[in-house]
Amino acid sequence: MRRARVLAGAGLAVALAFCGTGAWTYAQARTDDALAFSRERDDALAQGRDHLAVLNTLDASTREHAETGIKAWRDASTGPLHTELSATRAATGASARATVTEAAVTALDVRAGTAKLIATVRVDVTPQGASKTTSDRKRLEAVLERTGDDTWKVRALSAVPVAGAGAAGSGTATGGSEAR
Amino acid sequence: MTRVPGKATEEHAESGAPPAAQGTVAQDTAGGGPEAAGEAAGGPEVPGEAAGGPEAAGEAAGGPEVPGEAAGGPEAADGAGGGSDGHGAPDGRGSGSRFGGRWHAAAFAAAVAVLLLGGSAFFYGAHQLRSTPSAQNRALTDTVATERVSGEVGDGLARIFSYTPTGADATARSARTVLGGRAARQYDDLFAQLRTNLETQKITLNTQAVRTGVIELDGDTARLLVLLDQTSRRDEGAGTSAAAQLTVTARFQENRWRIVDIKAR
Repeated sequence: MRRARVLAGAGLAVALAFCGTGAWTYAQARTDDALAFSRERDDALAQGRDHLAVLNTLDASTREHAETGIKAWRDASTGPLHTELSATRAATGASARATVTEAAVTALDVRAGTAKLIATVRVDVTPQGASKTTSDRKRLEAVLERTGDDTWKVRALSAVPVAGAGAAGSGTATGGSEAR
Repeated sequence: MTRVPGKATEEHAESGAPPAAQGTVAQDTAGGGPEAAGEAAGGPEVPGEAAGGPEAAGEAAGGPEVPGEAAGGPEAADGAGGGSDGHGAPDGRGSGSRFGGRWHAAAFAAAVAVLLLGGSAFFYGAHQLRSTPSAQNRALTDTVATERVSGEVGDGLARIFSYTPTGADATARSARTVLGGRAARQYDDLFAQLRTNLETQKITLNTQAVRTGVIELDGDTARLLVLLDQTSRRDEGAGTSAAAQLTVTARFQENRWRIVDIKAR
């Protein structure tokens, strides 16, 4: 009988220890910096990919479509790029549809809320009135900024220049050129 | 009240609690010191614990079970049971409740069940947090490993895609240390064709990795996006530059990162 009580006490102690260890393990995982960092990285990558596709896409078949496209650009951007894109006026012209074929985060500062992204993009350009498209491959580097809770937007976007080719554009490589 | 314990007793007998134990408990109760009453309250704790899971659900059922056991002996035990309850509390259990002993057993079983369940839930939650693909990917989180893989892969690509008319052997040699798996076979085929042109046309190719991004790094496998600049020169002519974008899969083998697959982007 005494043994039963000792056993019961031991059982309770073991159960307590088990629960305590579980809680501790969970708390560790919850507050793990590396895990939080991983989540931020994947958020930035996923949103950056989407934004890059948007920023290289413009349906300029009609004025209305172009207007919608430029509004989408503004929503995907922030800071200097946003200001620059806001100055773009809608016009009809060649249309572009972009697909991000691959992207990777090259730098991430969680505290400052900035990230750098490199991406390869395939852009299919259709001249106005034509049905034939020509494909173009671009390689881009983007700077992302966290603007709110888990929201990343593109702050700067540029083509990665080819060294020695000289003429390769180092300015912003948005769909802007197609819009004008 | 009288019906419920009776039923509980039957159930208990069916569920096969050790009759011997029941007997001794009853005897002890009949023997009737206050200490024995305490034991009687202590006794059922063990079956309660052994019953485990269902017991937690049956917390309410756990209550009647204890009186059932106490009543398990002679009819007179009813009275003795009531008395022992009174003694049960002062026996060092500490609770002033009239049902002190019984409730202790039930509450104990419930507490153990809750603790075990809670602990399991915590462990499961922690496991869930750590096993997401996002958490498994150590790109950038492990800066040392990330820098190492991007350095070795970028350097390796620069070496295997750079050659001079007279240095084809050196390139082929370095390819053997840089490449592995499918990429090695593809490269061998490619380079065999190239080699014949190399010396006759005097082609020089110089490749540099300008940006390297680690997409995924999980244990000894990594996937990277590498942006390359290539400058080729024929004979003494002016060089022409071109951009190349590759997705590379690398595997950590023999203490270095080997490129096992290359895809153009």
